[in-house]
Amino acid sequence: MIAAWFGVISFMIIVYMVLDGRNFGAGMLSWQVAKTPLERRQIIAAIGPLWMWHEVWLIGFGGTLVAVFPRLMATAFSGYYLALMLILWGFILRGISLEVSGHINDRLWQSFWDTVFLFSNFLLAILFGAAAGNLERGVPLDAQGDFSMAFFTDFTPYGNVGLLDWYTVSVAIFVAVLLAAHGATYLTLKTEGSVHDRSARCAKRLWVAVLPLFIIISLQSWKIRPALFQDSIRRPLCWLGCLVIIISAGALISGLASGREKRAFAGSNGVLAGIFGTGAAALFPIMLYSTLAPENSLTAHAVAAHPNSLLFAAVWWPVGFLLATIYFIFMSRRYAGKVSVRKDNQGFYD
Amino acid sequence: MNPYTLNPAFWSRLQFAFTLSYHYLFPQLTMGLAWFLVYWKWRALRTGDEKYNQAARFWAKIFGLNFAVGVVTGIPMEFQFGTNWASFTRYAGSVIGQTLAMEGMLAFFLESAFVGALVWGEKRLGPRLHFLAAVAVALGSWTSGYFILTTNSFMQHPVGYQIEADGALGIQSISAFLLNPWVWVQFAHNQMAALVTGSFVIAAIGAFYALRGVHAAQARLYLQTGTTMGLIAALLVAFPTGDQQAKMVGRHQPVTLAAMEGKFVGGPEAGVALIGQPNVAARRLDNPIEIPGALSFLAYGHFGSFVHGLNEFPEDTWPDNIELLYYSFHLMITLGTLFIIVMGIAVFQNWRGRLESSPLLLWVLMLAIPFPYIANILGWMTAELGRQPWLIYNLFRTNDGYSRMVSNGSTIFTLIGFTGLYFVLGLLFLYLTGRQIALGPDRQMTGVKGKEDAS
Repeated sequence: MIAAWFGVISFMIIVYMVLDGRNFGAGMLSWQVAKTPLERRQIIAAIGPLWMWHEVWLIGFGGTLVAVFPRLMATAFSGYYLALMLILWGFILRGISLEVSGHINDRLWQSFWDTVFLFSNFLLAILFGAAAGNLERGVPLDAQGDFSMAFFTDFTPYGNVGLLDWYTVSVAIFVAVLLAAHGATYLTLKTEGSVHDRSARCAKRLWVAVLPLFIIISLQSWKIRPALFQDSIRRPLCWLGCLVIIISAGALISGLASGREKRAFAGSNGVLAGIFGTGAAALFPIMLYSTLAPENSLTAHAVAAHPNSLLFAAVWWPVGFLLATIYFIFMSRRYAGKVSVRKDNQGFYD
Repeated sequence: MNPYTLNPAFWSRLQFAFTLSYHYLFPQLTMGLAWFLVYWKWRALRTGDEKYNQAARFWAKIFGLNFAVGVVTGIPMEFQFGTNWASFTRYAGSVIGQTLAMEGMLAFFLESAFVGALVWGEKRLGPRLHFLAAVAVALGSWTSGYFILTTNSFMQHPVGYQIEADGALGIQSISAFLLNPWVWVQFAHNQMAALVTGSFVIAAIGAFYALRGVHAAQARLYLQTGTTMGLIAALLVAFPTGDQQAKMVGRHQPVTLAAMEGKFVGGPEAGVALIGQPNVAARRLDNPIEIPGALSFLAYGHFGSFVHGLNEFPEDTWPDNIELLYYSFHLMITLGTLFIIVMGIAVFQNWRGRLESSPLLLWVLMLAIPFPYIANILGWMTAELGRQPWLIYNLFRTNDGYSRMVSNGSTIFTLIGFTGLYFVLGLLFLYLTGRQIALGPDRQMTGVKGKEDAS
């Protein structure tokens, strides 16, 4: 039961990263691939109608985390206090800039909010990347299961751990590039004209950059937490994850090379899901690793809710998931194909 | 008084109270407005009259702005359970997490999937599906209201729980938890209050246009729909929902009721103070003007019923800010009464066909815009201050619930950050909403104009 809930929680955050990752990526590239305010409206329209639905995956993840792993939520969220608040502010700025930039047909107004949109997406991608790095590396959990740590360290490999240290910043850069590549692949699928052409070029370059970064990150992770690597080699799920990455990468490469945009985007989704999924499978059953003493680590069993709660959540969660999928399929079909700024004005009012 | 030592959770409380009060300025309007949109879309489908579509289109823009601000200010609320209230989450997460998660899975997914379609998708969806999108958004927003109020009801009146071996709360009966008697009353009261906000805002914009002599047909529609619904909702807020809510407080939180009424000495035939100032140090209500027996009757159904006074309870179970609680409650009641009177007169004048030619009444309706918001927030202040000093009534104290790992400095820093960010957000919201209202409902959403059309 607890292993299944670990799977559900991982699934939710991975779905979130894959879905909203395309928006982060598109946002980070919004000045690179679109040169005028009007072209940037194409990017907003591509993200537009479902961005809140994507963000609800994070909200659903947070709620489900309280319901099934309350003690993890308590420890991690209070330990990462300032970083989480920065994430919240980033979300506020991103959501607002997305919504309001089209409200006034004025070059300066739109450029300003498009800039806010660019930076908030960049900030969020970096912070989520750093969060992933912190999960892989572990945090200084004490015997009471609490931690607090510095926002920055001196970035030396042997110094103290911090929210942003040499390892987590490396992961953050990797994640930012990965999400940018994902976003570029998405924009190639959804846009037309010069935005499309620039996105396609961007996607190829970024995916080429992802490969060496991935190798560097893997080596760093091996150095920082060797046991995690040795464990994961024995796990069939991790091998399955690697298989997903390889197959998806094949689809991605052939899709990019032959201009089959749907195939490329499916491959891109698969690569992201594979990378994050392999990481999650390797972590189980430890949810938060202690860098002070391994016995302080918080396992899924230690932080789980009481059996009744897990059982009850197992009733409503599948219902909610099924309904969410139905809404998504319904809306995606309505918004299938290339976006058109004439049809999908996304708040471009006058 | 040093708030650090007496009240260690002070900064986290203030941050939660501030971010929640600010957040709730937006959902109260969208929950109220949602059913107006459904109604207008339905009328447009049935009659084919374009004025209904025009109204729905105009208000959908206002709705979209409110919804977006509601979403971005709502995420911090859920996160704060972990960031600022870690001990509370450890203690009660197994229970309250259920409804927090159900809100996301069963309500937010529904709302968020269709809100984009409602605000921008008229052309993509066609009239029938666009109507259904409005229904989906309205259902989603009310369902989310139910789940979050279930969470609050558990904190007000915990039922269906058990204490587990590790001392934390677990669920004993899920049906008792979800069907908490408290939540039905609170849900009805709260949702009617949201409808009051929606009605007042719509009527106010109608009055604004009527006074300026523009958009006459739309102004008439807003005034008629807004005042009719406004009167119904204002009456329902008071009776039966508000009445039942007070009885519920009297039954389960007698010390709270005593504090709300500034009643220190208990007794039969207790009166309701129309005015009067609670003097906590001297334990009495100064300068009261009372209606004798009214409180006994309202709370327990008989003029002779015994109403408890604060003196009967140990002081460490008193709400920790009796003055603020007393004034919040009384001001809310006063405003609620005024709403009924204003809307009653407006409906009567409308029935006589004189609403649009009564400038004084139109001015009152237009300037009334802030007051339903104030009344809603006062209602929540009454509920939350009244629950103190408990986070979960009679089970878990507020001062035990905050995150010990988070320093006061960090919380003050983020509180200042929220204040600044929300100030800018408020300016932006008012500017854009004001602009939409100034542009008026005649402007069609025609997609990209300007540069592309010119070419």
